Amino acid sequence: MAREHILVGLEIGTSKICVVVGESKDDGTLKILGVGEAPSRGVRKGEIVDFDTAQKCVHEALADAEEKSDVEIKGVYVGITGAHISSFNNRGTVLVPEDQEEINEEDCRSVQLSAREVSLPSQNAFIHSILQHYYVDGQDGVLNPVGMLGHKLEADYHIIHGISTRIKNTVRCVREIGLDVEDVVFNPFATAQAVLDQSHKDLGALVIDMGGGTTDYIVYVDGAVKHSGVLAVGGDHISNDLTAALRIPLARSEKLKVEEGSVIVGECVPGEMVVLKGDAGFAGKQVERETLNTIIHLRVRELFELLARRLDEQHCLEFLGAGVFITGGCSQLKGIKDLAEEIFGMPVHTTRAQSLSGVTSAFENPQFSTAIGLVRYAQADQIGRPSGLFAKLKRGLRIFGMF
Amino acid sequence: MFEIHRQTPLISTEADSIKIKILGLGGAGCNALDRILLDGLEYAEAVAVNTDVQALTASVAPRKIQIGRSTTHGLGTGGDPELGLASAHEGEGELASELEGTGLVFLCTGLGGGTGSGAAPMIASLAREHGALVIAFATLPFAFEGRRRATQAQESLDALRAAADIVVCFENDRMGETVSPQAGIHQAFAASDATISQSVRAVSELFKRPGIMRIGFDDLSRVLGGRHARCIFGHGESDSDNRANEAVARALKSPLMDRGRLLEEADSVLVNVVGGPGMTLNEVQILMEELNRHVGEHTQLFFGTAVDPKVGNRMSVTIISSLVAGEAAAAPVARVPEVKPKRVAAAKPRVEKVHLPPAPVVEPELVEAIAEAEIAPHEPSPFFEMPEVPEAEIVTEPAALEEPLLVPGPVAELVEASHVAQSLEPEPLFVAEEPEPEPVVEAVEEIAPEPEPIPAAEAPVLPPRPTRSFPRHTRSAPEPQLPMDIPQTKSPQQESLPFEPVSRGRFEKSEPTIVDGQDLDVPTFMRRNVRLK
Repeated sequence: MAREHILVGLEIGTSKICVVVGESKDDGTLKILGVGEAPSRGVRKGEIVDFDTAQKCVHEALADAEEKSDVEIKGVYVGITGAHISSFNNRGTVLVPEDQEEINEEDCRSVQLSAREVSLPSQNAFIHSILQHYYVDGQDGVLNPVGMLGHKLEADYHIIHGISTRIKNTVRCVREIGLDVEDVVFNPFATAQAVLDQSHKDLGALVIDMGGGTTDYIVYVDGAVKHSGVLAVGGDHISNDLTAALRIPLARSEKLKVEEGSVIVGECVPGEMVVLKGDAGFAGKQVERETLNTIIHLRVRELFELLARRLDEQHCLEFLGAGVFITGGCSQLKGIKDLAEEIFGMPVHTTRAQSLSGVTSAFENPQFSTAIGLVRYAQADQIGRPSGLFAKLKRGLRIFGMF
Repeated sequence: MFEIHRQTPLISTEADSIKIKILGLGGAGCNALDRILLDGLEYAEAVAVNTDVQALTASVAPRKIQIGRSTTHGLGTGGDPELGLASAHEGEGELASELEGTGLVFLCTGLGGGTGSGAAPMIASLAREHGALVIAFATLPFAFEGRRRATQAQESLDALRAAADIVVCFENDRMGETVSPQAGIHQAFAASDATISQSVRAVSELFKRPGIMRIGFDDLSRVLGGRHARCIFGHGESDSDNRANEAVARALKSPLMDRGRLLEEADSVLVNVVGGPGMTLNEVQILMEELNRHVGEHTQLFFGTAVDPKVGNRMSVTIISSLVAGEAAAAPVARVPEVKPKRVAAAKPRVEKVHLPPAPVVEPELVEAIAEAEIAPHEPSPFFEMPEVPEAEIVTEPAALEEPLLVPGPVAELVEASHVAQSLEPEPLFVAEEPEPEPVVEAVEEIAPEPEPIPAAEAPVLPPRPTRSFPRHTRSAPEPQLPMDIPQTKSPQQESLPFEPVSRGRFEKSEPTIVDGQDLDVPTFMRRNVRLK
């Protein structure tokens, strides 16, 4: 088996670190060979706060993945998130030289550069500039302008940027383990590759990845990324709310949330209690189910309302033909679909990675959407890349150059 | 809260009528003044005063006064304070007409040279004669400027302290510390000018801006009054999503702040928060919580806040404080020895006693102490709400609460216990029969009115507003420390917003998630005040 076709995605999440090893088949399909995971420590709200601890956890997860997939991992695609990451759309313009008739690849590259010519805050770096649409002499809907005749080439790009030192921290964490970082990918962008297929993207879709520390979102309209972002509120917040309200240890509220939690209020039998068994250092407790659900409901509702407001400001909501796709660990909360439908006013799907073969247990769990998405991203990325030693060198330089 | 609403219009109209002038005196003073003008000045008129014509022409101030025309012939004083003083006398008429009708004078000057050192005290007293309050901003020379200048500066500073109402003193050395070692000397001077400019502006805005919770001259003189050796000043602004945190961080980064470390030693700190109409209570809460981390246990906080549509999205924080010269000097005023039984309602005799010894320092405090005493009975103290407490305790406790408000201590022994005993003794019995909180309050009321007849003689010009005391909220529940806290901090003055210690739990150490002015790390049900069963 050709080792070049091995693709590895690494997501350093707030609650767990997960590594997905996939194999890209020649027919374009993807087979998941194995998934390694380890509980994450030293990460808050999607960002590393305790470097050494986080590194140990990453190492654990990688070792687990190597064992399960029987592959020696050399390079990984790393997903990043965090409240510092933000995005905007920008249009680049180039004029095709007079003596040149056709638009060539060189022009496409320079239009990308021109779209990037915006002033970011000084400490920020570009993470992605994702092509949305080309315009040739004002004509829109051009998918590939190479070979077309025209004088003016314009392109809309969705630019995602973040604070470079924080991104570097993640990269360094992986590099120090002795792995290559093939590329750094903004989490929701990767997630979208796993949960959406092309028809969803064309129709317009919103992907919400509700993770432990952050909620990442991305909007596709007309097959292109229209908006993306991070809200540093996630499952941790729900657990923390429960801890504050019920005065139980954080670990217990986490468990309570996963096992009993629901976002539906007003449907419980009055007085129905959830019993928390006693434990060493914990006396045990009874919690009324309605109270439990109310706390969760308030938090999740607030989160969705915030998102809906943000997206409405960006005029994204009216273009979502395929609806909303919720994934990530938190999407397993009971009743979340109904609540989201109520707030967004459109069909909502709780979803997970699609159309894969291999270890089914892996992609049936929405917690792995992002990591699988990273592998998908990698697959698309590799196709576009020339192979061979020279290309690899160049790639390495790109990542260095980026920071 | 109600009191504040009632007062606000009254005070702001009064403040509006006050005419403020900023005088830049001497070379350094004019530099600082130029800087203030370049930074933009809304509430005051600027006047440059100098002996050196050349320097005066270079100044951008709209009004300029040359002093000592025949004494120095338009040249400088050559670093001679005598000449500076003579020049000031010569220009007295012109200065006097300039100062006529001014309510508040900011006098910026650099001490150590001729004009500033010589003329500043004289101009300060001239301004006071014309009925103005004088706040002097004086810079002390850099250490590298030599010992001679330092001595001159010190002498002049002492004279200025006697002449001006408040002296805010900046040490150039400290302000230069923020400038990188490679930077040119002009940058070091520029840094000090910038700091003065900021502080002048902040202080003038303090007076002029209509505030929800105003900080007045009395508060300022409490914080900066008299005996301080070094002014601590910080100012920060931000308009980002996380503006509350950023503004505090910037304020603490100010050169005189030493990243907030110095605040711990200060015994009173004045904080003024100004924001646009969009400023939320939550933001103020975040901000004060952050600030409280840097403030010592016993520090007294003066808190003011103002909403000004002009500042738009920004939020600005001004922190002003001063360090006491030597702890020893301040000790007898600030600390109270614990003589519990004798403390019982020592109100009247003590106040009279204290009046005498450290006179200029104590006065503002004294006046406020009285104001405090008048208000105290109406305050719902936690102690009055405990009907089941044994009688003995009820008697001593309100007294313990009352007593420290009336401040300083050694005199505590001089109490005529008999009088007190008479007024208090019957009460406990009463309480025993009818366990209601009211009788205890009555007992206190009997004590409280006593200090009233004392004349508030040389009180600050703005009358002390009736204020209520509040314990400085620590992050944990502050109640048990109440009686201990007050004697050491002196009586706090301005009403505080209800700062509830809000737990951020797991996110205690992470960057707060602030969206639309709300800290999303705080549980939703708490922010929305949803009652859970």
